[in-house]
Amino acid sequence: MDPARGHTRLSSSKKTILRSVLALGLVLGCISAVKREDFKTCAQSGFCTRNRAYADYAKETSNWASPFQLNPPSLRLQAGVLKGELINTQEEQPSSRPALSFELQLIDNDAVRVRINEQDPIHPRYDGVQDTVIVKPYGLANESTYQFKQEGGVTLIQYGAQNQNTIKITSAPFKIEFLVNGVSTIVLNEEGLLRFERLRKNQQESAEEDGDGKLVDQDAEEGGGGGEIKIEKSELEKKMEENFWEERVIRHVYGIPEHASSLSLKATRGPGAPYSEPYRLYNLDVFEYELDNPMALYGSIPFMLGHSKNISAAVFWMNAAETWIDVEKNIESKSSGILSWIKTKPVLTPLTKTHWMSEAGVLDLFVFLGPTQRDIFRQFSSLVGTTALPQAFSIAYHQCRWNYNTQQDVSQVDAGFDEHDIPYDVIWLDIEHTNGKRYFTWDDAKFPNPTDMQQALEAKGRKMVTIIDPHIKMDNDYHVSKEGSDLDLYIKNKDGESSFNGWCWPGNSQWIDFYNPKARDWWASQFSYDRYKGSTKALFTWNDMNEPSVFNGPEITIPKDVIHYGGVEHRNVHNLYGTMFHSATAQGLIQRNETNQRPFVLSRAFFAGTQRYGAIWTGDNLATWEHLEAAAPMLLSIAISGISFAGADVGGFFGNPDAELLTRWYQAGAFYPFFRAHAHLDSKRREPWLFGEPYTTQIREAIRTRYAYLPFWYTLFHEASVDGMPIMRPMFTEFPEDEQVFGMDDQYMIGNALLVKPVTKAGITQSKIYFAGNEKWFDIMDYDKVEQGPGFKEVASPANKIPVYQRAGTIVPKRERPRRSSKAMEHDPFTLVIALDSQGQANGRIYLDDGETFNYEKGEYLLREFRYSNGVLSSHDPNEVSSSQDQDWPTDFMRRFGELRIERFVILGNKSPLSQVIPHQVAGLFCAFTPVKQVLECSQGPSGGHICTVKEPQVVLGEEFVIEFK
Amino acid sequence: MKPHSVCLSLVVVVATLALSAAAVPTSYEDDIPIPDGVSPSNEHLYVPDEARRWKCLDGSKTISFSDINDDYCDCKDGSDEPGTSACGTGYFYCYNIGHVGSSIKTSRVNDGVCDPECCDGSDELYREVRRCPNVCEQVGAKAKEEQARIGAIQEQGSRLRKQYIEHGKSIKIQLQSELEELKTKKTGQLEKATLDAKDKLDKANGMYDKYLEGTKNEREAARKKQLEPLIQEQRRRLNVGKETKNHLVQTCQNLKENHNKNYHDLAVKDAVSAFDDFVSRQSDDDSTTDESDEKEGTGTEEEEKKSENESSADEQLKTLMDDTNTPLRDIGTLYELLDGMRREYNIEYNDEAVLAAVKVIEDFEDKWDTVRREFKDEPSQDIPDEEPVNTPEAEKLKEETSQAQTEYDTASNEESKVSNRIQDINRKLEVDVGPDEAFAQLIDQCFEYKDTEYTYSVCLFGEANQKSHSTTYLGKFSSWDDDDYSVQIYSGGTQCWNGPQRSVRLEMSCGVENQLVSVTEPSKCEYLFKLQTPAVCPVLPEHTEPKQPVAKPSSSAKAVHDEL
Repeated sequence: MDPARGHTRLSSSKKTILRSVLALGLVLGCISAVKREDFKTCAQSGFCTRNRAYADYAKETSNWASPFQLNPPSLRLQAGVLKGELINTQEEQPSSRPALSFELQLIDNDAVRVRINEQDPIHPRYDGVQDTVIVKPYGLANESTYQFKQEGGVTLIQYGAQNQNTIKITSAPFKIEFLVNGVSTIVLNEEGLLRFERLRKNQQESAEEDGDGKLVDQDAEEGGGGGEIKIEKSELEKKMEENFWEERVIRHVYGIPEHASSLSLKATRGPGAPYSEPYRLYNLDVFEYELDNPMALYGSIPFMLGHSKNISAAVFWMNAAETWIDVEKNIESKSSGILSWIKTKPVLTPLTKTHWMSEAGVLDLFVFLGPTQRDIFRQFSSLVGTTALPQAFSIAYHQCRWNYNTQQDVSQVDAGFDEHDIPYDVIWLDIEHTNGKRYFTWDDAKFPNPTDMQQALEAKGRKMVTIIDPHIKMDNDYHVSKEGSDLDLYIKNKDGESSFNGWCWPGNSQWIDFYNPKARDWWASQFSYDRYKGSTKALFTWNDMNEPSVFNGPEITIPKDVIHYGGVEHRNVHNLYGTMFHSATAQGLIQRNETNQRPFVLSRAFFAGTQRYGAIWTGDNLATWEHLEAAAPMLLSIAISGISFAGADVGGFFGNPDAELLTRWYQAGAFYPFFRAHAHLDSKRREPWLFGEPYTTQIREAIRTRYAYLPFWYTLFHEASVDGMPIMRPMFTEFPEDEQVFGMDDQYMIGNALLVKPVTKAGITQSKIYFAGNEKWFDIMDYDKVEQGPGFKEVASPANKIPVYQRAGTIVPKRERPRRSSKAMEHDPFTLVIALDSQGQANGRIYLDDGETFNYEKGEYLLREFRYSNGVLSSHDPNEVSSSQDQDWPTDFMRRFGELRIERFVILGNKSPLSQVIPHQVAGLFCAFTPVKQVLECSQGPSGGHICTVKEPQVVLGEEFVIEFK
Repeated sequence: MKPHSVCLSLVVVVATLALSAAAVPTSYEDDIPIPDGVSPSNEHLYVPDEARRWKCLDGSKTISFSDINDDYCDCKDGSDEPGTSACGTGYFYCYNIGHVGSSIKTSRVNDGVCDPECCDGSDELYREVRRCPNVCEQVGAKAKEEQARIGAIQEQGSRLRKQYIEHGKSIKIQLQSELEELKTKKTGQLEKATLDAKDKLDKANGMYDKYLEGTKNEREAARKKQLEPLIQEQRRRLNVGKETKNHLVQTCQNLKENHNKNYHDLAVKDAVSAFDDFVSRQSDDDSTTDESDEKEGTGTEEEEKKSENESSADEQLKTLMDDTNTPLRDIGTLYELLDGMRREYNIEYNDEAVLAAVKVIEDFEDKWDTVRREFKDEPSQDIPDEEPVNTPEAEKLKEETSQAQTEYDTASNEESKVSNRIQDINRKLEVDVGPDEAFAQLIDQCFEYKDTEYTYSVCLFGEANQKSHSTTYLGKFSSWDDDDYSVQIYSGGTQCWNGPQRSVRLEMSCGVENQLVSVTEPSKCEYLFKLQTPAVCPVLPEHTEPKQPVAKPSSSAKAVHDEL
């Protein structure tokens, strides 16, 4: 380390502290363990500083106009693609520099892609993010689906399923406006802040810009980020760009995870902005992260969704380099409230402006105009991929700890669950299970028989997960390390020759270069049973530290100037590294066996598209009430940005939760898509039974509730895998018209049916909850308790439950028999909870397959739509077009699953008691068996009408049915 | 969907029910079937009334008797479904012919798991297929073997425990009688002898003191002159010691606050945790010395000086030397923890806070004697003897005094030996060695267990420790944890960084030999010791075989299982 550099760091960190004190004053009075000075502020980032300064300059300059102009004669729209050139009128010698290329694509799913790049650059900009992020080549809009018109300096394109969308491109100054049904929704470069820093040659050498001379890294002073590796002169590309988009009528913007902050993004600029720093996207391992903060965390998704009462729109800024995003909210309301605002559409004042700054790459962004959120999620996920349908066990409960110390420890914890009759599916082993942090190995003294251990778990339908990180201990006697060296698979130092090494858990380590296709294949092959000794098909994987975390690197990560396969500098691809690792691991699990099994891999780092490979979690949180509270907004932000399979460590990673906090966390965690308890090495044991009664019973109930709703969860995962709908949904996704919920992130929906409000304060037995919509809500623990929307209401939330309500108008499938694992429920019958709305109607679905293989891709699944209307309940296959498909019926699959029966209907919200069950088309009626005995029992609830239970309606999942109730 | 297939699905459902109806055992009274899963002891609860109806066991509801085990949960308490998983509460009874009958939770019926408790596989009957093999014969045989093995251990253990009990009883009596004897001896003769010798010694001392009193002023003046330079020097050292200690505390504090936690450098973590321990001990010391501090604090400087003048030069010097030892001891502790870090820390991290601390230690290294815990150039001062008084009269008085001293020492030694023994006996008699005194045998017996890293030891009713290159104190015996006298708690061990005070839970099980069979650390700094000992073996009556497993093959049950 250069000592001078060390001093620089110290002084700048002092500055930072001073700054934050000045800016935040007493508001931020708490002391936190995060070492802020380890992580950069905008002021310490050259390109962020320059771009913020540019924004200030633009604001202070009267009649500021963007210096960029489109060259109108060059605009051509052909086969869905509009191409042109952008000229920067302020560049000193415009003639000597080629203009920027501009391209706009109309995609066949109604999304629009905008690309700006340098033409003939000295060194080409990195443009490879699309190769890994875009799931498959997409089609462009057919010429017949859009209209194109140029008038003066304005180009108009009309497109969309109902021709509802308009793109208005102004040439000088350059601006693109997106309108939905005539309402301006998103404007690019409205404020004229587009900048595109070009590569320059080293000025000291005062050479011309064409030759092969050395290029100056404009960010040299901060490029290395303060670590030991200092960039002075980079011979590689260096560029940055930025843009500005804004939403005219949109007050709330969401997304751009991962930040420990609210769901609705807060202003970072402008008067009264709660944050002074921009939201930062740069995957980092942050120790004991601070809450209510725009600091970068473990993952990055540059996707932002805007929403107002009748408009939803989104952008995806496809860039994997370090990115900062400023949010400005114009709160001066002109004359009227928000409501009238929308109505006076022609002259709207912008409300939310965002300013995007990336360090490298090309400008490549997608605009999604919906018009509904469901459309946006479908459009976005059709580009970056939907949630992979998970192994069914992986959406059940996971028991983790750093560390379960020995094989005996594992079997005792396993036995503890049975003894206390608490279901669980997976037990996890953290880094201590390895031989000296050499992944793919075992500490033989502590785990002498890993295969036996996994088989014992599997005999009870349970699984195991071991941790595998991307840092490889430097040790020639370690086969993975040696092969990596022999095959030359590590990330290189900036010289492009020697392998980079740094420090992580095992000490001196090297990092696999997952951009190298050979390295990915090789890595995947490490998971075969013969290479990963002691692994069985019951063993799955956890990828941690993949930001990557490098203990002695700048900002605890790898330096930006290390080199990947193909000479790509790391700064271009940083935020994608963890995902490349995640995908190679998932591939390894897929190809390790011939039984067609789905993988399960948990990752800490993530990027757009991670949902194709597995689950993520919110990293190393703390055992505090505040962190429990922060989990919901964090998970919601992640969910709407495409990753549904996510959770927060139940109990909190660092520290010791007391019994109440732990119990409340289990109650909340039972409604996270990924449900895992985890604890730090230094924390006390906290397996669910260790706090004694009444906590053991309360935690058991919470976990059992999760298991009872597994059919519902699995159905939601299916939906997410098909059309990208989030599983955990913000209130505004389900109630897009209700402004009351736009900023709400302390309660949320699971699918369209369950409303969840975690209890996040100690000693609380009453919760204020908002019941949206005009329909009833049924307490899932006590169907007698019914609330009527809309409005806030105080409801009881005693120690044994958090408020969870089923929405009227929905049908939710459950399995109510307590079992020790999800696998043990495989043959259990179902219960349908039918919550009738005021019209006496309800709808719902169930999806079912074998829960572990890819056979569903061959059609081996069951999808049933349930409808209740006018006293008639029907089940039918929504996908069924004709009956020709089931010639060989019953298939093995149908034998296994089609014959599973529904043992119970619970019908809530009946206006009068039902007394008669009339099967019109029920399986049994076609056969000559003893008449079915359906027993119907009704009771009257205090406020919610009559609750009726039908015992053994004699229907099976595989058969359509129609049953009338009177 | 095609109607024909519909039938198929239903056939299965109904057939399963039909089969179970045919398969249930019948009660001895009439032909009313006993429902599946009901244990023999509960058979009487499953009897229908005249209308063939039946009341849930909690009385909540009356259902048709045929609704029992119809794979649907009717009763709140789950009592209508002892043979299916429909309720998931309650128990399913497996007859396990060839082995021992047992009950499992009904949530485990038909869950695809072959529960070892149901070796006959009767819990896993799904769609006519018994998914788990009947392995009761093998299991039964194995269990018998195991039973025999355990029986042998218990038998031998029982004998040993009886010996322990005998020993406990006799040792108690022995100790009690020895105690009486010693008490009598102590009060009867020893105390008097000591008192007499003391008298004699006091007299001799009195004479000598009187003589010395006469020459006091001269002697004190001489002594003061002799010691004055040493006192000055010791004052200086005290200041140096305090300053150095403060410097090191500051160094450690800086290290603690400013080191980079992201590096997870264990050497640094250890140093910080040792520093935290140090600070907590300091504050403990502070609180215990608070009272005396206050007293000192109330006096003015003058008063202090006065008292200084009044106290002898020897006392002054002694006090100063003692005072100096405190910072020196602390310096030693801090030096060692920082020096330990310096040897182990990861130089690659370039953590400035760590480097600063290392620098301090490197500067300090040459000056400090780690063995003697003092500055190398300042070895502790010897207090020179007082110039002797050499007159014949003095010699004679001294001689007499020394003789009286010897006599007194002998007498008081004798008495304290007896006192110590009395104390020891009292301690042993006070220890809770169980209602039958079986644990008396184990008092102060020590056992060790070695794992790959550490050697653990425990002396029963004493202390537990963990040894590697150094010894960590895990706590001392505090109580039994249960009424059965099989779990002991040792508490109050060394404070753990980021954790509790170390403690041990010692669980005992029956074994022929006393041995520590495993030591684990389920939670950080909370240890679990497992000890085998005859002291917890069951006491078996003489000349009887250990209990055999009792199967209850009622004839009807047997028939049923043959059918199945």
